[in-house]
Amino acid sequence: MSLHFADYLIILVYFIFVIGVGFLIKKKIKSSNDFLTSSRSIPLWITSLAFISANLGAQEVIGMVASGAKYGIMTVHFYWVGAIFAMVFLGVFMMPFYYGSRARSVPEYLSLRFDEKTRGLNAISFAVMTVFSSGISLYALAKLMETILHWDFDISIWVSAGIVMVYTFLGGLTSAVYNEVLQFFLIVLGLSPLVIIALQDAGGWDNIKALLQPEMTHAWKYMGNANDNPMGLHFMSLIFGLGFVMSFGYWCTDFLVVQRAMIAKNMGDAQRTPIIAAIPKMMMPLIVVLPGIIAITLMQPALLSKGYHIPTAANGELDYTMTLPSLIAHYYPTGILGVGITALIASFMSGMAGNVTAFNSVFTFDIYQSYFVKNKSDRHYLLVGKGVTVVGILISIVTAYIAKSFNNINDFLQLVFGFVNGPLFATFLLGMFWKRATGHGAFWGLVAGTAAAAITHGVTVAEGKGGWIAPLYTIKSGMGQAFIVAAISWIFNFFTTIFVSLVTKPKPDEQLKGLVYSLTEKPKYHQQKWYLRVVPLGLLLLAITILLNFIFF
Amino acid sequence: MLKKLNDLQFVIGLFFSVVSVILLLNVLLGNHGDSNLNIYTGTCFLVFGLAMMLIRGKGNGQ
Repeated sequence: MSLHFADYLIILVYFIFVIGVGFLIKKKIKSSNDFLTSSRSIPLWITSLAFISANLGAQEVIGMVASGAKYGIMTVHFYWVGAIFAMVFLGVFMMPFYYGSRARSVPEYLSLRFDEKTRGLNAISFAVMTVFSSGISLYALAKLMETILHWDFDISIWVSAGIVMVYTFLGGLTSAVYNEVLQFFLIVLGLSPLVIIALQDAGGWDNIKALLQPEMTHAWKYMGNANDNPMGLHFMSLIFGLGFVMSFGYWCTDFLVVQRAMIAKNMGDAQRTPIIAAIPKMMMPLIVVLPGIIAITLMQPALLSKGYHIPTAANGELDYTMTLPSLIAHYYPTGILGVGITALIASFMSGMAGNVTAFNSVFTFDIYQSYFVKNKSDRHYLLVGKGVTVVGILISIVTAYIAKSFNNINDFLQLVFGFVNGPLFATFLLGMFWKRATGHGAFWGLVAGTAAAAITHGVTVAEGKGGWIAPLYTIKSGMGQAFIVAAISWIFNFFTTIFVSLVTKPKPDEQLKGLVYSLTEKPKYHQQKWYLRVVPLGLLLLAITILLNFIFF
Repeated sequence: MLKKLNDLQFVIGLFFSVVSVILLLNVLLGNHGDSNLNIYTGTCFLVFGLAMMLIRGKGNGQ
């Protein structure tokens, strides 16, 4: 793949715009709250699109296209099972606590609800995860550009990190959020022509169904037996592992996405943010799953004349991560090729900026201000926030170079992130809906859940991974292993939190008002029109999601 | 103009309008004149960009 002047010009225009947004926002930044929390002033349409865009990083875009090619339509479960239900739950039930408590971050909510040690555990693990995720995103961008465009690895790293640093340093969270919205439109509109022409080339959905094995075009039909479907999953492990533990653990507790709802102008908009975001999320498989299914269809004997194939890796197997770049190279001529490459770059930068802004909020408020330097002027924390942005990006660059030298670090970090994230939702669920849950219970529940995740991974083997304690149990797919690890860690956290809470002293009710469901005044929606109320909107979305699952059953 | 640049819808609209002009000029200048995809995409981007710039939320200010 080689770019021409028009392609480079489009990439350059994109860079000018994202940096320009940073300069435009800069003059509005007066305080640490402006920089780190946008002073809760962002309109609903922006928070909603930023909410989904923060999750639309490169791992999502390239990874889901790859998954579509490898596993077929079952990949939609990450959306129609693993996202919409949790997003609606967040909007209806959890946002009133996050937003109503006036907490500036998710760890700060844990501090208000439980205690400082629970906050500290969550804040430190989250800060480490985000800054390393940012580095992995950076590494993946440079590696991809080196592979498909033969760009210099070092230049890709420093230029893209430099651009993200400029606009996040100038405009903080607001700048990152504004650029996320621009990136959302760029990714969706930049990849839509690809889906249309590739689908046409493959002969439409009916032809795809005729050419592929039936398990590639049915989302649920072959999930009664784990051996019958390409993911190697039973529907119960999918529903509990992905649909409940991992999905709710990510969408309802990960500050990276929740932060986008917490900066809305008022409680109503904060609650509506994940629910409005669920609408494009529901449609996202058209952009990121369908191209993968089309790609594998184009490699069937009847369509070999189209001349498309997914590149092979050094071991001779299909390199699914190259599915999207190879589709872009195959279908896009000069001009629109620049748009496609810019969309890929945007997805990497979106993921990186989201991680960096979440990192600097949590580090400044929940680590620096809470444990190191209290009661300083607001200007002090503003400067610290800006400094942390630079430091976060420098750590990301170091991580990217470590990832280059040690390929396994990516797998290792993803594994550790899974251990920490898996049990988290149990802590929030009990904290928000059971007033008897205590700080000691939450802390030891998290520790037990994380330990259970590590041990489960250590005694199970899937696709050659895990079993580092003793390979006692074999699981067909790595994805199935991840779901089982998450489910067991959640169960351990849930019951440990309950047990320890019952033998320790709870906070008095007066301190839990606004933090626990039974002690909080419920928001009144009856004055609003039905389409502004979160419950009817959420139910409507759930009904459409269930319908989509039936249509592609 | 500077005030409009503070409006995110305007900025997004401007971005897609500029990109559409590049796509259409690339076809008109004949470098890749046979590319219908650039024409269709450029036209769609132009319509989207102009719509975003012109149909702005009343009193939105963002």
